[in-house]
Amino acid sequence: MSWGDAAAIAAGLFAGFLSGTIGIGGGLAFVPIMTIGFRMPQQLAQGTSLAAIIPTALVGGITHLRQGNVRLDAAIWMGGGGVVGAVIGALVAVDLPTSLLARLFGVFLLFSAYRIAMGARRPTVKSQADPKHSV
Amino acid sequence: MVPLQVLWAKMPQRQANATSLVAIIPIAIVAVPIYYFRKGTPQVDLHMALFLVIGSVVGAYVGARLLKYIPDRELKLVVALLLLIVGVKETVFP
Repeated sequence: MSWGDAAAIAAGLFAGFLSGTIGIGGGLAFVPIMTIGFRMPQQLAQGTSLAAIIPTALVGGITHLRQGNVRLDAAIWMGGGGVVGAVIGALVAVDLPTSLLARLFGVFLLFSAYRIAMGARRPTVKSQADPKHSV
Repeated sequence: MVPLQVLWAKMPQRQANATSLVAIIPIAIVAVPIYYFRKGTPQVDLHMALFLVIGSVVGAYVGARLLKYIPDRELKLVVALLLLIVGVKETVFP
């Protein structure tokens, strides 16, 4: 195992932890880690990130299912709709110029930063209604 | 997906996060073969993915178990700041 492999494991720990806690789905962390940290081209980073997300989401998802945190009906609807969007998105992404795809991903990162910051500003409905559930 | 659920389905944040994590599974499963087979060279580095997975499976499990003890607000603020910095970098110097 090389230093690069060890760095990938450490990066994975960080991304997985964020996906298990604040639910950012892994890719949001995986892709910049690979493009900036490992100097990989955008398409390769995105494809690799998607491959790495499958087992990560399986483990996180199953843990949440067991703890009763998942609305299964909503998950099925979003997953179904998402599959259609993912096929179209992936077909477009593999043929885009790398720098344009990186820029688009940068915009997505900025939007995500804004959304997460807004989510941090107000306490969740749950914690306001019943403090014992938020601890 | 998470903001849609919180705003329109009036789902609590935690439930929305957990639900989207489950919904991501089929999405990733259909996208990977496209990245792998669509171009001449596969746009998926399976070696890198393997080591990311080794770390992230442990990280996701620990995160989900420790969910109740994590200072949600502070963690989100730190992550938002990191994404802002990386987002500016990627947009300006792709």
